[in-house]
Amino acid sequence: MKKKLKIYLPFASNELKRQLAYKGAFYLFILVSLFGSFINYYLWMAIYGSSENNILGGLTKNEMIIYVFMAYVTSSIVTISISDWVSDDVVKGTVSMNLIKPIDYRASLIVRATGDMIYRFLAPAIFIWIGVEVYKVHWLGMPFTNISYIFFYLLSCIMSFLIYVLFDFCFGMIAFFTTYIFGMLMAKEALLSFLTGQLIPISFFPEIFQNVFQYLPFSSMIYTPVMIYLGKYTGETLCFMLLRQLIWVLFLYILGSLIWKKVTKRLVVLGG
Amino acid sequence: MNTLKRYLRLYRVLVSQFLKTIMQSKVDFLMGLLGFFFTQIMGIAFLYLVFEQIPSLQGWSLNQLIFIYGFAQIPRGIDHLFTDNIWMIAWRIVINGDFDRYMLRPMNLFFQVIAEKLQPDALGELLVGTLLLIYSLSKGIVIVDALHIGLFLVSIFAGAIIYTSIKLFFASIAFWVKISGPFLQVAYEMADFAKYPTEIYARAIRFIITWIIPFAFVAYLPASFFLKETVSGWIIGIECLIALVFWCIAYALFKKGTSIYESAGN
Amino acid sequence: MIDVKHISKDFVSPKKYPGLSGAIKGLFSREKVIKNAVNDISFHIDKGEIVGYIGSNGAGKSTTIKMMTGILNPTSGECIANGINPSKDRKANAKNIGVVFGQRTQLWWDLPLNESFTILKEIYNVSDEDYTERMKFLNEVLDLEEFMDRPVRTLSLGQRMRGDLGAALLHNPKVLYLDEPTIGLDLVVKDNIRKAIKKINEMYETTIILTTHDIGDIEELCNRIIIIDKGRKIYDGSLEKLKDIYGSKRKISIEVKPDDSLRTFSLSSKLNISPEECITEYDEKSYTLHVTFDKHQIQTPDILSAIMEMADVKDVVIQETDLAEIVKEIYVTVQAGLAHSAVQDRKRN
Repeated sequence: MKKKLKIYLPFASNELKRQLAYKGAFYLFILVSLFGSFINYYLWMAIYGSSENNILGGLTKNEMIIYVFMAYVTSSIVTISISDWVSDDVVKGTVSMNLIKPIDYRASLIVRATGDMIYRFLAPAIFIWIGVEVYKVHWLGMPFTNISYIFFYLLSCIMSFLIYVLFDFCFGMIAFFTTYIFGMLMAKEALLSFLTGQLIPISFFPEIFQNVFQYLPFSSMIYTPVMIYLGKYTGETLCFMLLRQLIWVLFLYILGSLIWKKVTKRLVVLGG
Repeated sequence: MNTLKRYLRLYRVLVSQFLKTIMQSKVDFLMGLLGFFFTQIMGIAFLYLVFEQIPSLQGWSLNQLIFIYGFAQIPRGIDHLFTDNIWMIAWRIVINGDFDRYMLRPMNLFFQVIAEKLQPDALGELLVGTLLLIYSLSKGIVIVDALHIGLFLVSIFAGAIIYTSIKLFFASIAFWVKISGPFLQVAYEMADFAKYPTEIYARAIRFIITWIIPFAFVAYLPASFFLKETVSGWIIGIECLIALVFWCIAYALFKKGTSIYESAGN
Repeated sequence: MIDVKHISKDFVSPKKYPGLSGAIKGLFSREKVIKNAVNDISFHIDKGEIVGYIGSNGAGKSTTIKMMTGILNPTSGECIANGINPSKDRKANAKNIGVVFGQRTQLWWDLPLNESFTILKEIYNVSDEDYTERMKFLNEVLDLEEFMDRPVRTLSLGQRMRGDLGAALLHNPKVLYLDEPTIGLDLVVKDNIRKAIKKINEMYETTIILTTHDIGDIEELCNRIIIIDKGRKIYDGSLEKLKDIYGSKRKISIEVKPDDSLRTFSLSSKLNISPEECITEYDEKSYTLHVTFDKHQIQTPDILSAIMEMADVKDVVIQETDLAEIVKEIYVTVQAGLAHSAVQDRKRN
């Protein structure tokens, strides 16, 4: 185990260093990624202002504010697009290099993504999280979030992260079949921001959609942890949600392994 | 006049060569187009879901918001189609020294930058924009007369110039800091604010997107002129003025930047 | 033709710190590092000259070329080529010059080579007659025809270099700048490229300035060389003169039968000259004796006979000093000279 860690650790720390190297990007990344949340925040304020109901999609106005920013916090640490890296590696031809090295390509990607996740957690996420709590207590007059919610939220986030990167690994395999994955990445991002609940809580969707989403991994990526944070899931429901996440982790892990086997076989045949 | 003719001819030659290379990969082209198409459609789906819950948003109906949304796509798409290579200045061309190539040729530098590439992905945005405009027209919420049609054309042209100027300004910072991609990204994403009526925002944000990084003049403000009789056509005049001023500032910064360009390898 | 007057270039960059903690420190630091890449260089080049511009990596060669071509603006001083200052009138200067960077192509990567030429014809406004004539000439000297319709990215390095050279010459430039034109090429291709360059220079009296690490380039092409080190000019003159002044060192390697007495052997005492003029090193692993000496001081046969008296000689290799070593020696001399004059300055004060 210790030896394994030694092999993979550089992937994580290099990623951290690389991120820190871009000074400008470091500060601006925080700002730019918050834009969407602020637009959403103001939009929701206007929406609740224009509505006669106090509760929309099962959330009060205050809960919605927390939802918007916690969805941002969650997505910033969870959605680490490793398919970008895969397509980079494919274009540069370094994937075959990785096949020679005595390491598992997917594992190296996930460890690198973990480095990225830690960085994002430290850089914007934790500050915004603290900001959300301060805002919540000071301006909205609500109590601090229950410690047990925070615990289950973090647990859920770790699984969300795994679901996302394992899913994204499968998605990144497309890079082996087309040279221009940029358009696909955009479509993926647009679709995911919608299906994961990042843009709008899943509870706003018509019932039929919500039923379909039950059988897809996407709502487990962002909607589930944020709802846990808001205390919307307790007792049995909470256990069920966490279990469902775990099942997705396992399922996507196996799926990824199968696809990778197929792809590398092809790679060896084609000599890419 | 002769110079203009020469540059038009050069543009045709350069761009047609570029098109030859991208036509070799039609799949990529379709994928890019779909990517942008999807991103924009999601925005509309979001609005649709929200309007399931409320009748109107601060006096704006769903159809009106769809018009603003669609209207915003057109200058954005035009700029995106013609000047996408400016992004490369911000991310790559300056830091890796590829800008050398432009410096060695007897042509205007800005011209060389934009003539290097057309971005067909932008057709996705233009497609969404056009579809939404047609939808709005069919709903009869848009004012249609000679003045409005004329000013519509002026407005999307000025809007595209504003986009280009903002991109050029922030990309030019790369001559000082090597990579200005993150700055450009921040500025460019501000455009998303202008997809909705700016009244919903706090005063500071409204001020920034109206006067500092004036995306409100690309989308929401001119769009409202086509929706409401009470809005004066002067709004388009101000839009043109802003386009002119911002273009001059951005181009001056670009010129200054090229004079201190450091190339690579040091 | 070309006048470089007291040209200097400084690069300013933020200070970098090593390691992860360094990266964090770098976020908050505003310290700057100034690098003086080119320092007060002046020279004059006449029409039709072929000048070799040499120096070690990072000596400031490329920086000087970039200032002369208008890519960089000098921090101080100026360059006038054909009466034009490139940093003031870049476009006018660009019409007069052709540039080839060995490491990166000016051609359109995804297009067939002939398409690149069509575009360049438009860019440089070359008339149809001139174009036909030039292409005929370029085909003759560079043999472009065989790969004219292949995309540039599929060309071999040598073909690409020929293509690049042709592209740089299409508009008949008055000055041709070549940065490492033969880097990475095999001997036959190198030779062809050199011949082509020579022919172009003879036919059109094109002034050529080239930077290179390849001594063959210089020996075959240049009638004049300029050497720079650490941003300063340290030599400007003909190759013969350079060899005469600095190239008098010779090196002989002699393989002998194992003999322990050679360990303490000193040739200088045997020949009765000072040890600096004749350095002997004995490599015990390969049983080889390396002798470095000044050919104006000692004759090679003297050395050989002295050694043959001592030991059983198996093999002898005599090396002519190559330019790289000459250049190295100049650096040493120049630096010693600088130190020397510094000492004298201090004494004077």
